Amino acid sequence: MSDLKNKIDDLLMKVNKPARYTGGEINSVIKDANKVKIRFAFAFPDVYEVGMSHLGLKILYSLMNERDDTYCERVFAPWVDMENLMREKDVPLFSLETKTPLNMFDVIGFTLQYELSYTNILNMLDLSKIPIRSKDRKGYPLIIAGGPCAVNPAPLSDVVDLFVIGDGEEIINEILDLVASCKKDNVPKEDFLRRASKIQGVYAPSLYVETYNDDNTIKSIKPIEEGVPAVIKRRIVKDLDKTYHPDKQIVPFINIVHDRIVLEVFRGCTRGCRFCQAGMIYRPVRERSKETLLKLADKLIKSTGYEEISLTSLSTCDYSQIESLVYDLIEKYKDMGTGVALPSTRIDAFSVNLLNEIQKVRKTGLTLAPEAGTQRLRDVINKGVTEEDLVNSTKEAFKAGWKSVKLYFMLGLPTETMEDVKGISDLAHLVADVYKDVNGSTKGLKITVSTSTFVPKPFTPFQWYPQDDMDSIINKQNYLKELLRGKIFSYNWHEPNMSFLEAVISKGDRKVGQAIIKAWESGCKFDGWDEQFKFDKWLEAFESVGVDPKFYAYKNRDFDEVFPWDIVDVGVRKDYLKREYKKAIEGKLTGDCRLHCTGCGIKDLDEGVVCFEA
Amino acid sequence: MKLRAKFKKDGDLKYISHLDLMRTIERAMRRAQIKFSLSKGFNPHPLISFGPALSMGATTHGDYFDVVVEGEIDPKRFKDDLNKALPDGLEIIDCYIVDDKDLLSNKVKEAEYTVDVYLMSRVTNLAFEITRFLGRSEIFIEKESKSGSKVIDLKNYILDLKMLDSKGSKITLYVKLKISEGSPGPIYVIKALDDFLGHVFDVERVLVDRRNLILN
Ligand code: SF4
Repeated sequence: MSDLKNKIDDLLMKVNKPARYTGGEINSVIKDANKVKIRFAFAFPDVYEVGMSHLGLKILYSLMNERDDTYCERVFAPWVDMENLMREKDVPLFSLETKTPLNMFDVIGFTLQYELSYTNILNMLDLSKIPIRSKDRKGYPLIIAGGPCAVNPAPLSDVVDLFVIGDGEEIINEILDLVASCKKDNVPKEDFLRRASKIQGVYAPSLYVETYNDDNTIKSIKPIEEGVPAVIKRRIVKDLDKTYHPDKQIVPFINIVHDRIVLEVFRGCTRGCRFCQAGMIYRPVRERSKETLLKLADKLIKSTGYEEISLTSLSTCDYSQIESLVYDLIEKYKDMGTGVALPSTRIDAFSVNLLNEIQKVRKTGLTLAPEAGTQRLRDVINKGVTEEDLVNSTKEAFKAGWKSVKLYFMLGLPTETMEDVKGISDLAHLVADVYKDVNGSTKGLKITVSTSTFVPKPFTPFQWYPQDDMDSIINKQNYLKELLRGKIFSYNWHEPNMSFLEAVISKGDRKVGQAIIKAWESGCKFDGWDEQFKFDKWLEAFESVGVDPKFYAYKNRDFDEVFPWDIVDVGVRKDYLKREYKKAIEGKLTGDCRLHCTGCGIKDLDEGVVCFEA
Repeated sequence: MKLRAKFKKDGDLKYISHLDLMRTIERAMRRAQIKFSLSKGFNPHPLISFGPALSMGATTHGDYFDVVVEGEIDPKRFKDDLNKALPDGLEIIDCYIVDDKDLLSNKVKEAEYTVDVYLMSRVTNLAFEITRFLGRSEIFIEKESKSGSKVIDLKNYILDLKMLDSKGSKITLYVKLKISEGSPGPIYVIKALDDFLGHVFDVERVLVDRRNLILN
C-alpha cells in the first residue's frame, strides 16, 4: 500500500491542484482498516472541489464512521490531467484516507447529483479495474447509488447493484447491517440483493424487467420474481430535529466550491414551484429547532474554524425562526470574524434588514431568482414573486449600499413566448432604473443576468411537458444578448445541448443507459464541464444503440403514459402533479402549502409523516 | 500584541499553495480559540503577514509569520495550542513577541535551501562543475513575474551553492540566496545549473526545502 502511496506521490508534482488527491484534512477520519468489518468508499463522480461542497457527503461520511464496524473513505473523480498519468503509470483509483485501491472495498457508494456526471461513474469504475455492468461483477465490490437523481434509477440500472431512494441517513445503517451479516456468511450478491430489496427504499434493478410498447413508451417495469416489491417507497427522515447532523466537517486545504460550514436548517419546500424537482421529491418540510441548530453551529464553528456558516435548505428565508437564528449567530461569532450566509434568497420572503445584518460581518452578494420575465409566466410556473417584490427588495438593497445584483432565469419554460423572453431584459432594465432612482445614476452598477434552460424533470408537474428545442433556445439566447447590451449588464447562458442531454438522461429509461455506456466508451466524461463536453460523441452513441434522444426530451407525454420512474413512489401523488400541470397551463396559482395544505399526498406515504403545521 | 511564529511545513502539505497555507493557519487559530485581531472593512480577516511565499511542492523548516492578537498571549501557549489545532505537516517550532512596528518583510534578507535533484545522466566531478558555474561573471536568466518575464542576473542573488551529498542518482544541493522584492527562488538556480551542465537533471522531480529564513 505504501508502494501505491509512493507511486501517487510521483504523479502529484505533475498535476494541477495536487491537494485534491492527498487527503489528510482536519476532521478527516483515520481508522485502522484491518479492524473494521466493512470498508465503504463514498464516491463522488466529480472533482474534489465539487464533491467536498456537498452536504450529503458530510452527513453520510460522519454517520458511517461513527460505526465501529465500518470505515468510510472518500474518492472523487480525478481531473483529466491526473487520470492520464494514472492510466499511463498504471495507478488504480484510490481512496484519499488510506490510498487503498477502490476494488479492495466492500461497498462503493455513488451519489447522483447531476445527470451529466454519469459517465464519470463509469470512468471511476474503470479506473478501479471494476467491470461497468453489474452482471459482470462477481466477486467485486457492491455498487450502490443514491441522491436526487436516483428517483429515476432507470438509466443506470445495468451499472448499479442497488439504489437507495430517499434520505440516505435514514436507511444506510440497515444496509450496512445487512452487508456485515452477508459478508460474514459469504452470501452471494444475488441473495444479498434479494434480502436488501425487503428494506423499504431499496431498489435492486437486476430483480426487475422493463418492457416497451411499439411506440417506444414503457409498457411495464415489473419484478421478475415473487417477494420483491412492485413499487419502491421513498425513505423519509421523519423528525429532522432528532436526526443525525455531523458536528464536525472536513476542512479542505484548497478552495472548494462552497468553502464554509453547511448547516441544514430544514429539508423540503412548501412553495410548490412547478419546475422544481427538489421541491417535490424532498417533501414534506421538516425543520430543525433553533436550539438544536445553535448547538450544532457552536460545535461546527469550534471544530472547523471556518470563517462562514451557511444556513442551507431549499429556501432558507422560509425557516420559521430565521431572523432570530441569524441574529443570534452573528452576535455570538462576529468577534471571531465568522459570518453567516443564506445561499438561496427569494425576493419575496427575503428581508433586506437581515442581509444588512449579515453584511456587517461578511459581505454577501445579492442574488435573486425571478425565474421568468413576465408575471404571466411566473404564474405558470407558480413562482409567487411579483415585479413589485423585485423593485422593493432591490431598492432597499441599493439604499444599503449594494452595487451588484445577480438575476437568475430559465428559458424554454412551458408556454413561453418571445414576449416572456423580452420580459427578462425588461426586468433587468427595471432594476437598473431602481438603482438610478436611489443613486442618481447607474454609476458602479453591475447586473448579471443568467439563464439556464428549462429541463422537465421526473416527479414534477412538468414531467409531461416537452423541452424547448435547441434552435429555439439559441434564438432566445441571441435575442437576450441583443437586449442586454451595455456596460452595466452581463449575460450568462447555459450550453443548450448540455441541457438537452440532461433532459434525455433525467427522463431516460434503460435504453438510454446503453447510450451512456457507449458514450463513455467513446471518450465522454466530465460532461457538465464545457471544455470536456463532446456532444457529437453523444449523438453517435445514441445512434449506435438505436435510441432517439429527441423522443425523451421533446415528446409531449400522455397523462396515462407509464414512466420509467413509476417504479418509485416519492410520496407526491400523480393526480396532484396532473392537477398542477393543468393549473399551470391555465396560469392559475397554487398557494404556499405552509398556509393551506394543497393535498400533494405525501402524508399518506408512510406512517408518521407529518407536515409543517402552520 | 504581535507574535512572530517560526514554522515548518512538510509531508503532503507541500502540495498546498501559499494562499491555502494562510487559510489553514487562520482556521487553525480559530479552532485553537486564539483571539487574533481582525482587519476592518468587508470580509474581515486576521492580521497575519507571512514571509516570502514558498512555491508549490516545496517544504520548509524555517518560515515565519507575524500575527496580531488581542490582549496578552503567552507565546509558548500560542505555540502549544496552535500545534494541537494544526493538521499533520504543519507545526510551529518557535514563537516570540515582537514590537508592533517590527515588520517581517523588512527583516527577511537571506534564505537557505536544500534541493534534491535526480540525475538522468552521469556527471563527472559535479562539485568542480558547480565551482565553474559560480565562477562565471554573470548568469542571465529569464524570470517569470506577474507582469510577464524579464531578464535578471542570477549571480547577484546567489550567496552560496554547493553539493552536500550524493546517493546514486540523487544529489542534494545547498543553496543560499538573497531575498528582496522580486528575487528568484532556488528553482531558477537549479534550472540555470542544469542548462550549464547540458541538461542532466530530471527537472520534474526537484524537491526544494527551505531550511531557514535568516532574519536580521
Ligand atoms: S401534504 Fe399538504 S402541507 Fe404537506 S407537503 Fe403536501 S401539500 Fe404541503
